[in-house]
Amino acid sequence: MRKWLGLTLVMALVAAPAVAQVVTGKVAVVLDVGGRGDLSFNDMGFKGTDQAAKDFGLEMAEVQSATAADYLPNLRNLARTGQYDLIICVGFLLGDALAQAAQEFPQQKFAIIDSVVDAPNVMSIVFRENEMSALVGALGAMAAAHYGYPNVGVVLGIEIPVLYHFEAGYRFGIDWGNKKAAEVLGTKPVGLLYTYTGSFSDIALGKAATEAMLAQGAVGVYNVAGPLGIGDLEAITEFHRNRGTPSGPPYYFGVDANQDWLGNGQHGLASGMKRVDVGCYSAVEAVVKGTFTGGVTSLGLAEGGVGISKFVDLLEFIDFGISAGALKAEDRDLTIANWAVNRGTVPAWIWRAVDELEAGILDGTIVVPTADTVDEMQAVRARYTLGAP
Amino acid sequence: MTGNEGQPGGRLLRGVHRTLTGLHPALESVLAAVVGLLVGAVLMYIWGYDPWRAYWALLRGAYGGSYEIASSIARGVPLVLTGLTFAICLRGGMFNIGAEGQMYVGAAAAVCVAYFKLPPGLHVVAGVLLAAVAGAVWSLGPALLKLTRGVHEVISTIMFNWIGRFLVFYLVAYVLVDARQGQRTVQIPLSARFPVLVRGTDLSYSVFLAVAFALFVYVLLWHTATGYEVRAAGLTPTAARYGGISIKRTMLLSFILGGVAAGLAGAATVMGLPPTYAIISGLPQLMNLGFDGMAVAMVGRNHPIGILVAALFFGGLNAGGRVMQFYGSNPVPLEMVRVVMGAIVLAMAIPELARVFPALAASGRALVGMLSRKRPVEEAA
Repeated sequence: MRKWLGLTLVMALVAAPAVAQVVTGKVAVVLDVGGRGDLSFNDMGFKGTDQAAKDFGLEMAEVQSATAADYLPNLRNLARTGQYDLIICVGFLLGDALAQAAQEFPQQKFAIIDSVVDAPNVMSIVFRENEMSALVGALGAMAAAHYGYPNVGVVLGIEIPVLYHFEAGYRFGIDWGNKKAAEVLGTKPVGLLYTYTGSFSDIALGKAATEAMLAQGAVGVYNVAGPLGIGDLEAITEFHRNRGTPSGPPYYFGVDANQDWLGNGQHGLASGMKRVDVGCYSAVEAVVKGTFTGGVTSLGLAEGGVGISKFVDLLEFIDFGISAGALKAEDRDLTIANWAVNRGTVPAWIWRAVDELEAGILDGTIVVPTADTVDEMQAVRARYTLGAP
Repeated sequence: MTGNEGQPGGRLLRGVHRTLTGLHPALESVLAAVVGLLVGAVLMYIWGYDPWRAYWALLRGAYGGSYEIASSIARGVPLVLTGLTFAICLRGGMFNIGAEGQMYVGAAAAVCVAYFKLPPGLHVVAGVLLAAVAGAVWSLGPALLKLTRGVHEVISTIMFNWIGRFLVFYLVAYVLVDARQGQRTVQIPLSARFPVLVRGTDLSYSVFLAVAFALFVYVLLWHTATGYEVRAAGLTPTAARYGGISIKRTMLLSFILGGVAAGLAGAATVMGLPPTYAIISGLPQLMNLGFDGMAVAMVGRNHPIGILVAALFFGGLNAGGRVMQFYGSNPVPLEMVRVVMGAIVLAMAIPELARVFPALAASGRALVGMLSRKRPVEEAA
C-alpha cells in the first residue's frame, strides 16, 4: 500500500512539469506581513490578481511574508525563476525591497500598489484617495448638518503620505458639504475630529479614538487605518446599543474595500473604496495586452479605481465576505435590509448632492486637493480648518 | 517504582523513554527533526497537498545552491544570537525568555548610529557596542529583580519583553522616526552597515559576528574557570555554593551575557539585513526572532556549536518555507508552512520533555513516600 502510494507520488512528481507547460503564463502576488484575511487591502489584491489570472488563463502564485525580512527574498526567489510575467507587490511596505529587486532583475516586470518605485520595469499603481474621501467627507458633513451633530470624525493610521491623500480629500469634502448644507438647510458648518493612531494593526486604538470622537458629537467616523476599522465599528455599535437605536447616526464609513456589510450592515453608511483589485487586474491586463510600461499609473474616480460605495458594490462585497467566511450566507438578506434601512436615514437631497460632487470631479469642474508632504498637508489644513482654531 | 512493573503499558513507556534518552543528544535532535517532518507530511497529505513535492521545494529552497544556502544562513544569523541568550542562562540554571525584548532594545540602540558620523569600520563597531550595551542593560532589570527580590525570571522576562516592545514602538513612532518616511525609523548610514557578503542575497558580514560570539561563549563556558562556575551553579546550585561559587555572580554574568547576545541579534538584523536598514513601525522584521531563538537553543541542546547547526536548520526551514509557497502547481500556503514548522519544533521538544519525566516521577515518588511514611505514624498513634 505504502509502496504504491510512494510510487504514485513519484510519478506525479515526474508528470507535473508536463502539466505545468499547458498554461501560457504566470503571475505572482506578494503580500506584506499583514497577509490574507483582512477583508480589505490584501484580500482585494489577491482577488483582483486571481480574477485576472482566471480571465486571461494564467497561473497564479501567492506569496505571503512571515516577517519584513522576507520581502526582498520573496521577490528575489520569484524573479530568479524567470517564469513570472509579472510580480505584483501589494502594499507600500514592499517599496524598499522592490526598489532593490527591480534593479537586480531589470528584465522582470513588477507592479506595486500604493508606492512609487522609480524603475523602468516597475509599474507603480497609486490611487487618488482624495477623490473618494471627498465624497465621504461631503456625505458626513451634510448628514451631520441634517441631524444637528457638531462634528465628523476620521481615524487614521501611521502618518504617511498615502494617508495625507485621504485627509486632504476628506477635509475638502467636509467643506463642500458644509457649503451645500448652508445652502439647503441654512446650518452652520460642522467641524472635523481627526486622530493619527500611529498603527495599522492595534484595533483597540481605533476603538478608543472613535469613542472619544463620539463623545464629542461625531456624526460618523471614517476608517483610514485598515483593521482599526473593526475597533471603530465596535465603538459605534456599542454606542447604538447603549442608546437603544438600531440605525441612523453615528455612522461608520469604511475604507479600501466596501465595508458597509460589516456588522450585518447596521451602521456602515458608505465606504471610501480604493479598488486595489482593479489596480492589480489592470496591471495583469497591461502585461497580457503588451501595454505594460514602467512609471506611475494613477487611478481615480474616472478610472474606476476609487469610489463611494453603491448598492452593486454591496452585493459584490457581501459575496466576498461570505466566501472569506466573515459573513454567514443566511445573513445576506438581513444585511441588505439593514443597509437599506440605514441608508434611508439620510435624506435624498444629500445623496443627490454626493452624486453632484462626484459628477463634478468626473468632468473636471471640481478639483479635489491632495497632499504628499507634511508642508502640503499643512497648507490644506490651513485652508480647510474645519472648526480648528 | 515496583508498582507499575507488571503493567505492559508502563514497560513500553519506559522502553521508549530509555531509547529516547539513551541516544546521543545530536541524534535526538535529528530524530526529532525527522518525526516533525513526518508529522508535517501527514498534515499536508490530509489537507490535500503533496508532501514530497513540498519537501522537495523546502530542500531546494533551503540548501539547493549557493544562493539558497546563503539565504538560509542569513535567516539563521539572529537566531544564533537569541538562541545563545536562552542557552547561556539555561546553563546557568535560569529560564530566560527575555531575548525578544532585549533584541528590540538592542535594535533601537543600533539605529542611533544614524545620528553621528564615524569612519566606516568604527561606525559598525559603535553600532554593535551600543546594541550590546542596550541588550545587557535591558537584561539587568529581570536579573536584579531576581537577585535582590527573588522575582522569578520567567515572569519578569516576559513582562520586560512587553515593556521593551512598547518602548521600542514608541521610539520608532516618535523619537527615531524618519520625518519623510513615517513608517520607519531613520536609516542606518552606509558606513554603519554590515556589507553584503554574497551578492544578491541577504547574507552580510554579520554572520561572522554571530559565529564569533558563539565560539566566545563556547570557550568561556567550557574552557574557563568562570564558565565552569556558571555551569556548576546551573547544574546544582547548592553544591556549587558549598564549593565556594557565588551564585549571584554567575547568575548576573549569564543574564548580562545573554542580554549582550540578544542585543547583537537586534544589531545584526537592522545593520545587516537589506534593503531597509531601519526599524519598520510595528517591528515586522524583528518580531519573534527572540522566541524562535529558544527553539533553536533547544534543538541545539543549549550548546553553542549545536546552536550554530540548529540555526542553519531553522534558517533553512524559513528560507525553504518561502519557496514552498510558490513551487509547483499545488503550492503550500504560508499558513501550512508554519504548521509544518510548528510540528517540527514540537517534535524537537519531546526528547527534552522525556528528560523531564524522570524528574516528575521522582518528585511524585517522593510525595507518595512522604504520604506513606505519614500513614504508619497515624496508625501507630
